[in-house]
Amino acid sequence: MSQQNICPEWPEIRREEYRGVYVYAEHDGNSLKDVSLELIGKARQLAVDLDGAEVAAIIIGGTDAMARELVETGADRVIRIVGEGLETYNPVRYSMAIAQVLDKYRPEIVLIGGTKRGRELAAYIANTLKTGITADCTELEIDKASRDLIAIRPTFGGNVLAGIRCPQRRPQMASVRPGVFPKPSRDPTRRGEVISERVDVQDGRMRLVAVERKVERDVADLPPVEKADVVVVGGRGLGSADGFHLLVELARALNGTIGASLMAVRAGWAPHTRQVGQTGKTIRPRVYIGVGVSGAVQHIVGMLESKVIIAINTDRNAPIFRYVDYGVVGDYKEIIPRLIELVKAAPKPTPTEKQPV
Amino acid sequence: MKVVLLTKAAVPNVTAVRIDPKTGTLVREGVPLMINPWDRDAAEFALRLKDRYGGTVMALSMAPPAGKDALESLMGMGVDEAVLVSDRVYAGADTLATAYTLAKAIEKFAPDFDVVVAGEETTDSTTAHVGAQVASWLGIPYIYYAIDAEVNGRSLLVRRYLEDEGLIETYEIDMPVLVSVQKGSQVPRDISLVRKLEAKGRVKTFSNSDLGLPAECVGLRGSPTIVAKVFEAKLPQRKGELFEGPPDEAARWLAAKLREVGVV
Repeated sequence: MSQQNICPEWPEIRREEYRGVYVYAEHDGNSLKDVSLELIGKARQLAVDLDGAEVAAIIIGGTDAMARELVETGADRVIRIVGEGLETYNPVRYSMAIAQVLDKYRPEIVLIGGTKRGRELAAYIANTLKTGITADCTELEIDKASRDLIAIRPTFGGNVLAGIRCPQRRPQMASVRPGVFPKPSRDPTRRGEVISERVDVQDGRMRLVAVERKVERDVADLPPVEKADVVVVGGRGLGSADGFHLLVELARALNGTIGASLMAVRAGWAPHTRQVGQTGKTIRPRVYIGVGVSGAVQHIVGMLESKVIIAINTDRNAPIFRYVDYGVVGDYKEIIPRLIELVKAAPKPTPTEKQPV
Repeated sequence: MKVVLLTKAAVPNVTAVRIDPKTGTLVREGVPLMINPWDRDAAEFALRLKDRYGGTVMALSMAPPAGKDALESLMGMGVDEAVLVSDRVYAGADTLATAYTLAKAIEKFAPDFDVVVAGEETTDSTTAHVGAQVASWLGIPYIYYAIDAEVNGRSLLVRRYLEDEGLIETYEIDMPVLVSVQKGSQVPRDISLVRKLEAKGRVKTFSNSDLGLPAECVGLRGSPTIVAKVFEAKLPQRKGELFEGPPDEAARWLAAKLREVGVV
């Protein structure tokens, strides 16, 4: 398509000038977000189909240790953005700073972790560059002939998958929720380049004036829902907050953790941080055990890639039974106490490596 | 103060959308259209600003003509005026082209706005893009996941909740500003049926001949992204073994399965 047919608001670009796969590496001042490392892993895979394109991470501030971790996880280059006004998070300044660096380095693909902050930044960056962005991708592929990214995402409540392309514009941007791709292991022998990039973002229109921690009581002192091999998930069918105590006991016996459906979170039985599903976390444990979870599609998309899916429900017609490896029709209050006894009585398994899925 | 409320007035009821197995395209015929549910949180947020500080709320939507009904409902909630921009050339717009059209409509119909309020995301495409993109086109600051706000001189103090970090942040932002409201954070007021009836015929509809936007900047042509393919989400093969029996046996059966899997 010739330039006169293109929206005059879009700056003219030359596609072939854009090379490399970049990841925005988010951190909280102390450590990198897992999703950023997961995306470095994915970027490495994409780079293979792009004739060994460069993989780079963009980080605002950060530490030497973070830069090292990004390199050892797969980045060839780490671009550390420094500048006044970037000491604390600010959507406008962060977006502008990242957009400026992307405009300078011109990667063909940019991946952003779909955290709350990542989702806030991603679309503004894309709009600043007048390029396309695809949200919450569950798979990313390369069409080798065109070097186009095919960004696959669930739509219409997860019933349908759409493959999105951005043929005319660069960089091609995509966001991915935490836990969708596996976190690669670190290779301490990997070497990479760390560049400091000074960016001047003069924008005083918004100021962070207060931060408070919202106190939301957790059901138990157990690992985060996305960080365990076994996840016992409670749904509305538990009937009460008390039901979670039994689930906690089972999770402990299995060295696992606890999750919750949207309905259980809405009922106040578990904190938001443990919610599994489209509006919560995507998990891929070795074993998912849903108790009193009906299996709304919005929940299913958040656990579908679990290696083994188990459900206990009194309703034999519950949709979740369509997705299980092993399902038990019955009352969890009677089954789980006995199951806990059997699990505790069993000899402990030898720890196995978490298998990549 | 002048508040613009962005809304997606006609989203398909997602549970009713299916794929035609022969053509591989989405079957939207007969799928009921509704207002994006999360926009009612945004409406409540906008109306509360009006309740406390006076002024007007104007709802704005880019949608097919069927979107009129949802805009009338918003007027039934207390929105003062409603603008529907609707044209065939807007069809097939991705979020960038949608945001462009909305931003241009804001500049035309509410150039003196103080706050643009949007819902967190829509239930059909769930991208949460359009708010930030409208802010970018308008060149104004923006904030996501707002739970409440108050006016402080020429700025807005916005509290927002970051669910994944468990943090509540407060920003002071100079107006004009775009605020995207955390879904589920408000208790939306009821739609007054009397007011909704009064709204009949009061939704102002404009086409692209009114807005005068270049055809290459809107709809499919103004969209950098294209849907290359759609397909039904395919489910991984599962064993699908069901057990129904006394609790003792059920527990033993499950324990045996957990042992097979290697976690017991």
